[in-house]
Amino acid sequence: MGNRLLSFLVASVAFGGLAEAKTVIHVMHQGDPGWVSTYGEVAKRFEAANPDVDIELIYAPHDAYNEKFSAAVMSKQLPDVMELDAPFLANYVWSGYLQPIKPLIDQDVIDDMTESNVAQGTYPIDKELYAVGLTDSSVVLYGNRKYLEAIGARIPKSVDDAWTREEFEGYLEKLSNLDGVKWPIDTFRGYGIKTEWITYAYGPILQSAGCDLIDRKTWKSVGTLDSDPCVDALTMMQKWVKNGWVVPQSSGTNQFFAEGHPAALALGGHWFYAEAAASMKDDIVVMPLPKFGQKSASPNGTWIWGITTASEHPDIAGKFVSFMLKDKAFRDYAKEDSAYPGLKSFAAGSPLYADGGAMAVAFEQASKTAIARPPHPAYPIITSAFMGAVDEIFNGGDVKAALTAAAEKIDEDIEENDGYPPFDEQ
Amino acid sequence: MTLQQPALAATAVAARPARRRDQSRLFQEVGMLAPAVILLTIFLVVPFLLSFWTAMTNQPLVPRPTPVRFIGFTNFLRIFKDDLFWTSLWNVSRFTFWILPVQCGLAFATALLLHQKLPFRNFFRSLFFLPAITSMVVVCVIWGTLFQYPTGPLNQVIGFLSGGHIQPIDWLGDPDWAMFSIVLLSAWQAYGFQMIVYLAGLQGIPDELYDAARIDGANALQRFWHVTMPGLRPTHVFVLVITTIQAFKLYTQVAILTQGGPKSSTETVVHYMVRSGFEEQKLGYASAVSVILFLIVLVIALLQRQLLRRFDV
Repeated sequence: MGNRLLSFLVASVAFGGLAEAKTVIHVMHQGDPGWVSTYGEVAKRFEAANPDVDIELIYAPHDAYNEKFSAAVMSKQLPDVMELDAPFLANYVWSGYLQPIKPLIDQDVIDDMTESNVAQGTYPIDKELYAVGLTDSSVVLYGNRKYLEAIGARIPKSVDDAWTREEFEGYLEKLSNLDGVKWPIDTFRGYGIKTEWITYAYGPILQSAGCDLIDRKTWKSVGTLDSDPCVDALTMMQKWVKNGWVVPQSSGTNQFFAEGHPAALALGGHWFYAEAAASMKDDIVVMPLPKFGQKSASPNGTWIWGITTASEHPDIAGKFVSFMLKDKAFRDYAKEDSAYPGLKSFAAGSPLYADGGAMAVAFEQASKTAIARPPHPAYPIITSAFMGAVDEIFNGGDVKAALTAAAEKIDEDIEENDGYPPFDEQ
Repeated sequence: MTLQQPALAATAVAARPARRRDQSRLFQEVGMLAPAVILLTIFLVVPFLLSFWTAMTNQPLVPRPTPVRFIGFTNFLRIFKDDLFWTSLWNVSRFTFWILPVQCGLAFATALLLHQKLPFRNFFRSLFFLPAITSMVVVCVIWGTLFQYPTGPLNQVIGFLSGGHIQPIDWLGDPDWAMFSIVLLSAWQAYGFQMIVYLAGLQGIPDELYDAARIDGANALQRFWHVTMPGLRPTHVFVLVITTIQAFKLYTQVAILTQGGPKSSTETVVHYMVRSGFEEQKLGYASAVSVILFLIVLVIALLQRQLLRRFDV
């Protein structure tokens, strides 16, 4: 019996050894079904080009991605390559999960990155690059040409002549009385109250109004998030909701191009363009975000690729990421999805964003006004607290009280973590 | 040490029913208790002690460069100072208050109906039990569509029945309606379980009692009040207590449909716990919430024992 057991062990070790002849690279990602199948095809092509490598894709749903990632950390099953949402980068790097990516990626890809792409993948403490992406992102104001002409609205062509707050609110009011318009604007509340959308898209409204989620020098939120300009900005948004100007959360996310076009404007991400344009044809107008205070502000940052410290084959992982970013079919799919270019060569092949293109204003806006979400390890709390406050405010809660509670919650967490050194020394 | 008696429990017990406890008997008892005790220790006692310990620290969800510290009862104090926690506790109580009459009433009524000698009654029993074995996630997705504002099927039916007099209701988006909507859906999904319990209770009432009542001239209503209801007393208590405990653990519906909103009107204790632990990565804090929830449920369970005792069950 002992012999049999022994030979079984020998056999299993041998077989295990055979199976391990291929290097397995685990790649964790999110994405809708279209992206998932695109990633799958890229992986297949990479495997065909590198027969000794096995790419194993791990899908984690978008809405619970960070929870899934935490679970992977806890169970010591960090993937080699992971897709990550840019504002969470600081948290991951600070916690020690990502390694500098520059030495692992082809130099031509690094040289090809746009400034905002470099910015979203850079950790502010050591200024090292930890993640790269094909794309970046932005939010613009979409309009229905018919409705805008009906109320005689001025259509801005560039960030410099964006609507002012007074103009914007005046148009909202006029639109609310226009036949056929059920809601003047869709701010995509349908994305839910726990997605990054709230911080991503509404944060710039605060920044444009002259405040922020957190002070980026002292890393204190009290005195910033609950300051007068922020209270004022969110009181303004609360008024839109109260007046019935905003598509309610429970009405879904396509009211701008739904049948009958019940929403006249849409404060939407760049990814919304392809779908909306397909349905609205020439009626769609792309405009810069309104200027709510002294300056314009817009969001940036998207899902990008990093290589974890747990990877045993970081060089192969880097090879895969480089391969993916250069893959033609991958880029074609991204283009179809109106993806926002983060690589210069991809931008060159994206007439949508080039001068004269329908989304050119988004590209201009990002280069002039983009403000990243706070690159701080406390970001998970910052965004969660802000989302809670916005939900409270949109449903009629006291603006000042909600923002104060959120700001205190953020500061409490930072204090509890001793200021997340070395962030406390900045 | 030698075992003098054969260790086989069945023969030992059967052969010497009145025998006083000796060592081997003790071994048997310990042996039979052991699996339960070991499992309970591993899956109940140890996790509870661990979470109690974690609750006293600032343990983050994922390892961090900063040290984990013992912070005593700080987390508990913070929880009690957090309005959102009290809101979530209040919401769960509200949910329980509504779900008890709605779900148990529905279950009781259906059980009474299906206890009759109707044609196809097994078919109907399965039909009414079907939602209870359907995944709550699936149920939520379906009801999410039914609840759609303003053009969802539910609003259309109400609009049609009222001749357009009742405006569409924002079931899940209106803080005044959201919890009620979740009550409706939850009751519909889960009442099948209580129905089965009631059916079992009804079948446990001896037919002779009904026959005797009939001979005494009792009509249907009198038979219901004086035979059925007293016969079901332990069932009522059991169903109420089980439903209360389940209600306190409300999570899935909230996580899928409202995420605790609008305006925290559907935030529940478990959802609050998951949110602190996973989204905000504060495992120590979340553990403290779980300890509090455990104590709440424990109190309910103790009350259950008291109630059952009072009813001589």
